[in-house]
Amino acid sequence: MSLNDTLKNLRENGIDEAKRAERLQELNDLRVNLLGKKGPITKALRGMKDVPAEERPEIGTLANNVKNDIQAAIEEKMSELNDKLVAKKLEDEKIDVTLPATKQVQGTRHILNQTIEDIEQFFIGLGYEVAPGYEVEEDHYNFERLNIPKNHPARDMQDTFYLSDELLMRTQTSAQEGRDMEEHDFSNGPLKMISPGVVYRRDDDDATHSHQFHQIEGLVVDKNISMADLKGTLDALCRHVFGENREIRFRPSYFPFTEPSVEVDVSCFNCGGEGCRICKYTGWIEVLGAGLTHPNVLKMSGIDPQVYSGMAFGLGPERFAMLKYGVNDIRDFYLNDVRFLEQFKGVN
Amino acid sequence: MKISVNWLKEYIPVTHTVEEMADKVSLTGIESGPVNLGEELTNLVVGHITSITPHPDSDHLKVCQVDVGEDTDIQIVCGAPNVAEGQYVIVALHGAHLPDGIKIKRGKLRGQESNGMICGLDEVGVPAKYMPKEFENGIYVFDEPQTPGAEVYDLLGLKDKMVDMDITPNRADTLGMRGAAWEIGATYDEKPTFKQPELDNSKISDSQDVTAEVTEKELVPDYLLRELKGIKVGKSPLWMQRRLWNQNIRPVNSVVDAANYVMIEYGQPIQAYDLDKLQTKAITVKLAHNGDKLDLADETKVLDKNDLVIAAGDQILGLAGVMNGSVAAVDENTTNVLLEAGVFDGASVRKAAQRHDLRGDDSNRFEKGVDNGIVDEALVRATQLVDQFTEAKEISNVITGNFTKAEPTVIKGDFSHINHLMGLNLSNDEITKILKRLGFEVAAAGDALTVTIPTRRWDMSIEADVVEEVNRIYGYENLPNTLPAGMETRGGYSKKREFSNKLRNILLGAGLDEVINFSLLSKQDVEDFNTIQTEYTKLLHPMTEDHEYLRNSLIPGLVRNVAYNQARKNNDIGIFEQARIFDRPTDQDRPNEVEYISGAVSGNVVADSWNTEAQQADFYYVKGLVEEMLAFTNSDAEFTFVATDEYDNLHPGQTAKVLANGQVIGFIGKLHPNYQKAHAVAETFVFELNIDLLFGLNKKNVKAQSAPKYPSISRDLAILVEKDVENGQLVADIFANGGKYLRDVNIFDVYQGKNLKPNHKSLGYHLEFLNPNDTLTDEEVEKAFTLVKDSLVQKFNVEIR
Repeated sequence: MSLNDTLKNLRENGIDEAKRAERLQELNDLRVNLLGKKGPITKALRGMKDVPAEERPEIGTLANNVKNDIQAAIEEKMSELNDKLVAKKLEDEKIDVTLPATKQVQGTRHILNQTIEDIEQFFIGLGYEVAPGYEVEEDHYNFERLNIPKNHPARDMQDTFYLSDELLMRTQTSAQEGRDMEEHDFSNGPLKMISPGVVYRRDDDDATHSHQFHQIEGLVVDKNISMADLKGTLDALCRHVFGENREIRFRPSYFPFTEPSVEVDVSCFNCGGEGCRICKYTGWIEVLGAGLTHPNVLKMSGIDPQVYSGMAFGLGPERFAMLKYGVNDIRDFYLNDVRFLEQFKGVN
Repeated sequence: MKISVNWLKEYIPVTHTVEEMADKVSLTGIESGPVNLGEELTNLVVGHITSITPHPDSDHLKVCQVDVGEDTDIQIVCGAPNVAEGQYVIVALHGAHLPDGIKIKRGKLRGQESNGMICGLDEVGVPAKYMPKEFENGIYVFDEPQTPGAEVYDLLGLKDKMVDMDITPNRADTLGMRGAAWEIGATYDEKPTFKQPELDNSKISDSQDVTAEVTEKELVPDYLLRELKGIKVGKSPLWMQRRLWNQNIRPVNSVVDAANYVMIEYGQPIQAYDLDKLQTKAITVKLAHNGDKLDLADETKVLDKNDLVIAAGDQILGLAGVMNGSVAAVDENTTNVLLEAGVFDGASVRKAAQRHDLRGDDSNRFEKGVDNGIVDEALVRATQLVDQFTEAKEISNVITGNFTKAEPTVIKGDFSHINHLMGLNLSNDEITKILKRLGFEVAAAGDALTVTIPTRRWDMSIEADVVEEVNRIYGYENLPNTLPAGMETRGGYSKKREFSNKLRNILLGAGLDEVINFSLLSKQDVEDFNTIQTEYTKLLHPMTEDHEYLRNSLIPGLVRNVAYNQARKNNDIGIFEQARIFDRPTDQDRPNEVEYISGAVSGNVVADSWNTEAQQADFYYVKGLVEEMLAFTNSDAEFTFVATDEYDNLHPGQTAKVLANGQVIGFIGKLHPNYQKAHAVAETFVFELNIDLLFGLNKKNVKAQSAPKYPSISRDLAILVEKDVENGQLVADIFANGGKYLRDVNIFDVYQGKNLKPNHKSLGYHLEFLNPNDTLTDEEVEKAFTLVKDSLVQKFNVEIR
């Protein structure tokens, strides 16, 4: 057999063997056996010396081609076997994705704190400082400085837990107003603060009353504060909390420490103002009280009401949360059943 | 107060429905709701009983023939004891609708045809307690002949339409019809007109029996009396009675009704006394003596020296401004009457009414204030009405105990400032017009404005009040929405709040739910966890024993939450609270308010599942939470955990104080088994940390360092040591002897039990050495490791294994 034929035979057999291989090891062996230094091709090429000089380049090219072709056949088969192996592995590793997860549990912030923090963030964005006050407060700050002297009928509106003649559990976060006003340096700009916190009233606990609940007081004192500023601020707040399409309205009211005083209603987020059970078919829901800071309150803090004016508002996180999430019983907030708490995961 | 539209029409034209009025008044003045009485009522007419025969088969039923304006009388069977021939009565015809869904049908009563029902007032919607007493147990009978077949609604006010105004304490000026007419009138730009009451001058006599003296003049600015003599007390006219019962006032007699009527009309309470029942004719308004008694119809009140009373000599006639006693009550036999119009100090009346639990129409008005400007006119009006109803022979002049001339309030302001506070730019004319609508006098001089406020609006005293009036009548709905436009301010939380938020986030991240508990606890609760050893702070007048003391720890609340949940099969619980506790030093009345973060973990912290094994909460789990919080304090303090058995309600062998640089800042512990049992909780681990103390620690000064380039070398150490030696002691010693390249010591094995020397435990430590600047050699490490082992052997008598 001519060298030429020998090489062609080797190619034919080699490719054939590669195609028949079933395991990667066989292919590796084949490569070493056929293409290695001790393999038949190398051996065959030793017969080159018997080939006439003019045919040698042709044989050389053929030999290279044979090597390359066998190599390609081995690689092709290798990749085919690899694919099969991977496919098998993937098949073996298939899992039931509907089995339950390995729990990665985050705790849930209390819904009242979520509500409070949502409102805090809104006001922080408008440049308000968050300044919680004392829960045990002096009669002076809780009442007197808010234009509620002793014997004022408004003291009846808030039955108070006293610790002594002069100390009490604050009945309203407005108690912080006097402290903030007397501490504020107006040369640094306006006073803009909200004061969130716990307040206490002598109420029997029932579905709508709690002897302890939360309030957020807001106060802005500057040279140009107006009722329109109050309305714009609370309008933006109510849109933030209850939805972009909400509107608010003011109704005249009375608080000893604001004049004018208003109650603020938000258009019903349930029915959009058409009238439903939640808004008692009025289209409006009362959400907070507000007004311009009473000149007496400013004066008692050493602020000239002819130069400065203030706006104040007070809102109840319990009420906000009850309205927004349909909580029917205020006591649920304080029983802390985790099934109640955890339903509010991530709402704010 | 409910404002009847029919009554209101005497003062202003009314063209709107009560629904529209209530809405409008709510938005411009006072929260109001519409009241439509008797909407359901139908087929109620006047009937004239033409004859009565006994029912053949009943003792108490009667068969009445009743003229109801039709061609023939109808027969109605009636069981009322007071039914009689000739009466004009209320008849519910066949098909009539009564309150509470009752429908009247013709039918037979014990065999006798009955074509309707003869009704009592309470059956047609007048509450039983406000209808005249004489009709309490029977049908209503008209005093005067009426037209048979005519509808009864207007006669009895059964379908009155009213605007119910729910006033705030400052708007007591609308607790009278006239004040309400001003308010509603201003809303609709209608000026009310009132008739001036007049007396029959021919009856006025200069003689008078009584004298009036006021000893506490500052508490009684006005005290006026008038006598009417030779009166005949009867019933007041139906138009007055129906107005009274619709005001929830029971008609009594013509004198009492007139007095009550004037209170509703003017807002000025009026009292009436039977002149002949007075012990002496010297009326004094004075403070009572301790032990004085006031006899009311159904009880006797014992008075004290704070009570302002009306007295005739020693006879207490009434508690001033609150309630009159029965001793000089006007009845049908009264022939001489004394009418009183006084003004009594609000605070004094409020306290007396509270003290004696006697709040009512009078005290409600005096507490909030009455119009000092109409006291005399109201008395004239009451006198006029009584005279009109009782045909007095003689009327006295006004007998004055005290009289203070009421002056209008003058408020000065600037148009520009008023606009400025509203955020509006109304013209001076517009503002003036609005104020005039309210019945105020306005004088403008350039920007300056002077508003003269009539005495009926005693709530008005300063410019801000004027701002409110202008703004509300102009309409809050017309205000633009703006934001304060002053200098920019930087908002945000306090540093401490940001700090505590960091700690909260760690616990949330670890899966603990946040709770909020009450700050007021029982005595037992504050005694159970007084770990800070504070004086208790107690409420003066607690409502219940459960909420009597200010909390000195968050743990009792958390334990209550665990119990509440576990009772509901929520067995695996991890909760925390960030709130204040109250720490009162002995020499202080006021407790310090200290921020704490505390938690409780009970049950599994990792649930049993198809691919995980349950992991129970234990001391070390909670310690892990606390350590991570401490790491996030970014403090350079040295934190240590020291075993303690000094807390009664914690497990003496599984509790540690947490210290920062030697100062106690909290604790970790397992609840004592007895405490767990008493509170019905499973094994529960708790912790608390004082945020204020943590916040006050020095902050670490973090300087960045590159991650080490050189490899570390590690050694494992297994030792046998007596059981009571603490890991903390050993680790501290290892560090003390491990040289500067000892970077980390981890315990990977703790074993106590079989195959060990008694009272010993086996511990395994992994030590890691690293030189950040060079490659460590084995020799260096071995040298350090030997020192570590030698020291442990020497100091703790360990056996190296």
